[in-house]
Amino acid sequence: MIHAGLNTYVTLSALLFVIGFFGVLLRKNTLVIFMSLELMLVASTLALVAFSRFNGTLDGNVFVFFILTIAAAEVAVGLAIIVALFRMRRTVQVDELNALKH
Amino acid sequence: MTTNYPELFCAFAGEASLVLGMLVVLGYDLTVGRKRSPTERWQASCILGGAALFSALVVGLRVGVVGPVLGGEFMLDALGVGTRAAVLVLAGLTLMLTAGTARLRNPAEFVAIVLLAATGFSLMAVAQQLLVAFLALELASLSLYVLAGFDKTRPESAEAALKYFLFGGMSAAFLLFGFSLLYGLTGSIDTSAIAAALAAQGSSPLLSVALVMVLVAFGFKAAAAPFHLWAPDVYQGAPATSAALIASASKLAGLTFFVRLLWPGLGYATGDVALRHFSPGWLAVVALLSAASLLVGNFGALAQSNLRRLLAYSAIAHAGALLLGVMAAGTAGPAPLYFYAATYGLATVGAFGVVAVLEAAGVGPQIADLAGLYRRSPLLAGCLFIFILSLAGIPPLAGFFGKFAVFAAALNFGGLASVTGWLAFAAIFLSAVALYYYLRVLKQALVAPPAPGADGRIAVPGAAALALLLAALLLVVLGVFPSLLLQIFS
Repeated sequence: MIHAGLNTYVTLSALLFVIGFFGVLLRKNTLVIFMSLELMLVASTLALVAFSRFNGTLDGNVFVFFILTIAAAEVAVGLAIIVALFRMRRTVQVDELNALKH
Repeated sequence: MTTNYPELFCAFAGEASLVLGMLVVLGYDLTVGRKRSPTERWQASCILGGAALFSALVVGLRVGVVGPVLGGEFMLDALGVGTRAAVLVLAGLTLMLTAGTARLRNPAEFVAIVLLAATGFSLMAVAQQLLVAFLALELASLSLYVLAGFDKTRPESAEAALKYFLFGGMSAAFLLFGFSLLYGLTGSIDTSAIAAALAAQGSSPLLSVALVMVLVAFGFKAAAAPFHLWAPDVYQGAPATSAALIASASKLAGLTFFVRLLWPGLGYATGDVALRHFSPGWLAVVALLSAASLLVGNFGALAQSNLRRLLAYSAIAHAGALLLGVMAAGTAGPAPLYFYAATYGLATVGAFGVVAVLEAAGVGPQIADLAGLYRRSPLLAGCLFIFILSLAGIPPLAGFFGKFAVFAAALNFGGLASVTGWLAFAAIFLSAVALYYYLRVLKQALVAPPAPGADGRIAVPGAAALALLLAALLLVVLGVFPSLLLQIFS
């Protein structure tokens, strides 16, 4: 069995973060953007757990519990905003959201 | 570490009263309020909310400066106590403006979320440990997203909320990833322990990545270019009083939060911006953000015809000057930055308050619609005059003294032959540009005759009038006697 070191975890979490970042930048559907945003949060979570394991302190693990709660709250607020928007505009595509100009 | 619960409760009785007040507001509206008329529900909710804010302010000031609490996880220093008091005052003014002008449904929910946001700001002002700081920031941010989208009858409000939410969520993810890297590098989430560990181990590529990530989040929170894109849309689309809170209290709390994080926590990676011994660090990045914000804000504002978008670009320009204050806080302490941010917040709440009253009376959001304001409502025109001149930095108003203190501190920080010195001069020159677009607003309001068909008097609701007068009075008094606010730092 190959033992995964700290570098493996940090590289993986950085990769997940970058995938999430480009998802937010490039995708046009609000829901997909929203999913990418969550991916960025999860990437930080993975890094925190890995650092916590290899640093030998519990702070990172505790941090992660709070982040999970925050992510849930963020989903609630975000989906509520998307639903409110869909009711008014009948679309969730970001390139059609251009009412705010001058 | 043993937890001293009485001490903890004593230090956070203000926050407790805010949360309690939020529950009371919701409970009252659910039981008694639902049988009343919408106007009565608004009044009751705002009075209860205002009482909670006031008691939090009194309790917070009575606790005063006590230093580190709970083993250094919170820091109740002069900056923390001052910021706490200022955000509560700004939130209180926002509530008074809302009471008179809002046409929103769900009054109790609006007030409850304002109180939650105030709790978040107030914790942001004193949090010193990464976890607590992040939680406070998210509590404030999530509340503000909801406030931005509160007007469910206008598509613009939902669109503004979505844009704010997406940009904000991304910046939070960046901040969190930066925090996790800092934790990985130093093995601690305590600011002082991080500082000690960084000084011991020296710089590394990972530290630079962490710094950049934290600074991205900072740029977003302060609405600094190039992370400013959300600001004009949110300021334009959100309900006017939500925009007031986003522009004022959120900015002040965010600056306190990051000054606390950058100077003591990441002090090792400061770098130097003096020309002879330049070294890379976060100071150089903040200087870049500051220069970009000054340019984008001041020149962007010239092209605006919508008053709210003009205020947004002016906010970006002010963010540039505030970042100068962040840099200068290294030698001058946070006092000039705090004074600037607090008085800027007062003037912005006031300006958005005027916008809110005008919109409630059906006067459009364009600058041209202000024509003849001096005849239609002398009170609004007079207050707008003070707010805009304070934003422009005209003596003897508080905005002038804030600018003066920040620029003087920036010039002292690195001398003339440094990036901060140049930036201070650039900011002074760009203030002249700024004067042009501020005076354009005042010319419409004070000189131009009313347009035919739109010359009726504008009624100003009592609570809103009181809030506007209070903000204007504070700006004049603090401009003449700045030591009233600055004495907490001595």
